[in-house]
Amino acid sequence: MSKVSLKVLTDEDVRRIHEASMKLLEEVGIEVEYEPAVRILQEAGLKADGRRVFFDPAYVQKKVAEAPHDFTLYARDPRHNVHIGGDDVAFVPGYGAPFMIEAGGTRRLATWDDYLNLLKMAHACEEMDLSGGMLVEPNDLDDHTRYLDVLYAHIRYSTKVPMGSSYGASGARDTVELLAPVFGGKEMLQEKPVVISLINTISPLKLDARQTGALMEYARWKQAVVIAALVMAGSTGPATLAGVLAVQNAEVLAGITLAQTVNPGTPVVYGSASSITDMRTGCVSIANAESALLNAATAQLARFYGVPCRAGGGLTDSKAVDGQAGYESCLMLMSPIASGVNFILHTAGILQYWLCMSYEKFVMDAEIAGMLRRYKRSIDVNDNSLALDVIKHVGPGGHFLTQMHTKQNHKTEMRKPMLSDRQSFEGWAKDRLTTEARATVLWKKLLDSYQDPGLDERLQKQLQTYVESRKKEIVK
Amino acid sequence: MILDELKAAVMDGDAEQVAVLCRKVLDEHLSPVEAVEQGLIKGIEEIGRLWTEGEMFLPDVMMGADALKVGLEILGAELSKAKAAAGDTDRRGRIVIGTVKGDIHDIGKNIVSAMMTAAGFDVFDIGYDQGVDVFVDKAEQVGAQIIAASALLTTTMDEQKELVEYLKSKGLRSKYKVIIGGGPTTQGWADGVGADGWAETANEAVALCHKLLD
Repeated sequence: MSKVSLKVLTDEDVRRIHEASMKLLEEVGIEVEYEPAVRILQEAGLKADGRRVFFDPAYVQKKVAEAPHDFTLYARDPRHNVHIGGDDVAFVPGYGAPFMIEAGGTRRLATWDDYLNLLKMAHACEEMDLSGGMLVEPNDLDDHTRYLDVLYAHIRYSTKVPMGSSYGASGARDTVELLAPVFGGKEMLQEKPVVISLINTISPLKLDARQTGALMEYARWKQAVVIAALVMAGSTGPATLAGVLAVQNAEVLAGITLAQTVNPGTPVVYGSASSITDMRTGCVSIANAESALLNAATAQLARFYGVPCRAGGGLTDSKAVDGQAGYESCLMLMSPIASGVNFILHTAGILQYWLCMSYEKFVMDAEIAGMLRRYKRSIDVNDNSLALDVIKHVGPGGHFLTQMHTKQNHKTEMRKPMLSDRQSFEGWAKDRLTTEARATVLWKKLLDSYQDPGLDERLQKQLQTYVESRKKEIVK
Repeated sequence: MILDELKAAVMDGDAEQVAVLCRKVLDEHLSPVEAVEQGLIKGIEEIGRLWTEGEMFLPDVMMGADALKVGLEILGAELSKAKAAAGDTDRRGRIVIGTVKGDIHDIGKNIVSAMMTAAGFDVFDIGYDQGVDVFVDKAEQVGAQIIAASALLTTTMDEQKELVEYLKSKGLRSKYKVIIGGGPTTQGWADGVGADGWAETANEAVALCHKLLD
């Protein structure tokens, strides 16, 4: 157990939320809009009325217990393998925004160029553990087939673990087909998950056809999935946070139960993007005290069920890389880090409640992630770190700048910032660069530092051929 | 005093109380025109005012709009008769609203629908996952002036374009104002698909409807 461990619920609270979710699953049930899922759950002995599936609590708990406590995602370059679970945290870039906001505040549709830039930045950025998924929506590509271009690009330009398509069973199948040859065939995948995909429930209490189709397909291949609920307090869930957690928990457990019914041992992550509704406009607000509490509570619930957890992110409702973007994103990354969340999607780049990405915000969030990774490492207390010898040696009134102990320890003990300005006033006042202006310099430098890891040419051809043939089938 | 009670019931979002009061209006042969204009509408107007001032929130507006609808349904027949007798026709703007085919996200659409109702429009909400033909059939049936289509997904936005094309193919394009909205949509998208208007928020959508029907 990490030394940094924030709890916002008592054990009794967790138990009561669990019991409330079990009641919802058993008495209200979940609307499952995917016939094969209803069928397999019925075959497993669950009752269903049309598409409404009633989950027996004993069965749910038995299946959830079959999910692994932790697992490793295998990357094309083993140095980028990622352990998901335990005390570890994986930072993952923003996902799914249709817009870009440029420095200065202009909003425009995201393009394929933006996509490739962000992919290269994600690969080059040390703080990002995965290359991500739909980093932005490339609006200039056909929306029915762009997931194929995106998957190919991840394999071609990055050796970090990608996120797969949740565009129905066929999107999941294509993801597996494209990754299999890279890792020596589909049989190998059964042993080693090489991709993780985002499966969202529809709140309240629904699983839709597209996401459920993808979930079942990934489970068949034992590829990892994040099953996440986005309950909005006050609109798609009750206004009270405990009720939000009860609804979220029922949905996520239904998803995990389905995955384990299809293939026991499928790696799953308990996910939450739950947040609140702005009660004046109906807009979602994704960065606030309530959502930060929901993140921490989600970590506790996932721990209760013994599965890894996804929550939080560099989240903000702000439309600019400004003070609000900074303080909200820090809160929404700090809370999951402090409470032991294992997988932080949307770590970098998000503005305006998931709708926009920004290059400047990407590096600002990476800076926050770097600070928090250090924070999570906590304070080592041992003979060396207590430093009694050197303190005695320096004695009262001396200084430590010229001590070997300082020289040997400061680099690992103190993280060097990449974006924060620590100059004197005079030093800063020469250019008077704001965070956003410094971030523009930094992201360009990051993109410049990208090095193409390369991909075997025969493999490139093989994957391209697959992509082209699938495109023809889909567009037909 | 029943007028004050009607106003209060709408403001409380108490549809049951509105129903009780409206039936009383009919039973006691009180003026349905007065009940609506000096009672129900006063309530929704007051909600609108308090919402603008930040004193009321979405549940107040949406429940108020629902209560108003219940009242209008009960008084509807008598109201039309009374108005016809007085040579007065209902001049409120009529709007058909829905979420497009393939899209099940309807919270934003519901909010816009309620705000339009609160602003005095006659709103016909056809729900979510609706084909363009359903939008147009409803508009034809109720004699709407505006068709409003919502889409939250980049994969369903094309249906908004489809709506404009469908109207053209039926020779009905000039008969209706088409307005669109939803998370990924923009003014540029609206212009591109040939819609008559776009709004980002529910408030702006109401202002847009006023402008289009001016």
